[in-house]
Amino acid sequence: MITAEMTETETTQTEGRDIIRLPFGLLGFEHVKQFVLLANPAEAPFMWFQMLDDAKQAFLVAPPSSLVSDYQPDISDDEAGFLELADPADAFLLNIVTLRGNGQATVNLKGPVVINRRTLIGKQVILNNAAQYSLHHPLTAW
Amino acid sequence: MLILSRKPGESIVIDGRIVVTIVRLEGEMVKVGIEAAREVPVHRQEVYEEIQRNNKEALTENRPQIPRFLAKRSAPAQLKPALR
Repeated sequence: MITAEMTETETTQTEGRDIIRLPFGLLGFEHVKQFVLLANPAEAPFMWFQMLDDAKQAFLVAPPSSLVSDYQPDISDDEAGFLELADPADAFLLNIVTLRGNGQATVNLKGPVVINRRTLIGKQVILNNAAQYSLHHPLTAW
Repeated sequence: MLILSRKPGESIVIDGRIVVTIVRLEGEMVKVGIEAAREVPVHRQEVYEEIQRNNKEALTENRPQIPRFLAKRSAPAQLKPALR
């Protein structure tokens, strides 16, 4: 009996998803330049900023407006220029959340990932006004 | 570490393309100017390092379960008042 060997085409996890490019990576991960953003409605507003080349590694992120009010991130003209943000509305911000266990988590408000929603190019930007924000802003569990 | 002595107004060139200038002394503070292509990231070391450290702490393996968080309450989480 001859059995035909069937090979399944592996579906990439990134099918149909946009790749976000970070030319400078993230601080401490400068070599990781491509990510995908995974959004599960059940987890909203949180999303996973996952490494394209290693699907097991991801950062928990959320838009700052969903976590805090009155966030006024001051992004330098050089950074805005690099990202080609002619219009502030082009900027899509994601802040990195750290899970601390026991239902605790904190969010980094000093260094958001700023993405140009047209080009999908992003950068982790240290704010000009980073001193007035916390690196470990606590998020309260419900 | 290469250690050089400079007077205010004098500069150092790094890699032929980054210029660091001692602008002036203000008591115990030294005002430093940096000229570089805008693609070159320049940061205060301590902020850079703490964000780098936080990124490493934040990285997860295999997307763990997220505890149930409320994004915004009716009385939203207020940040400490901005320094004006």
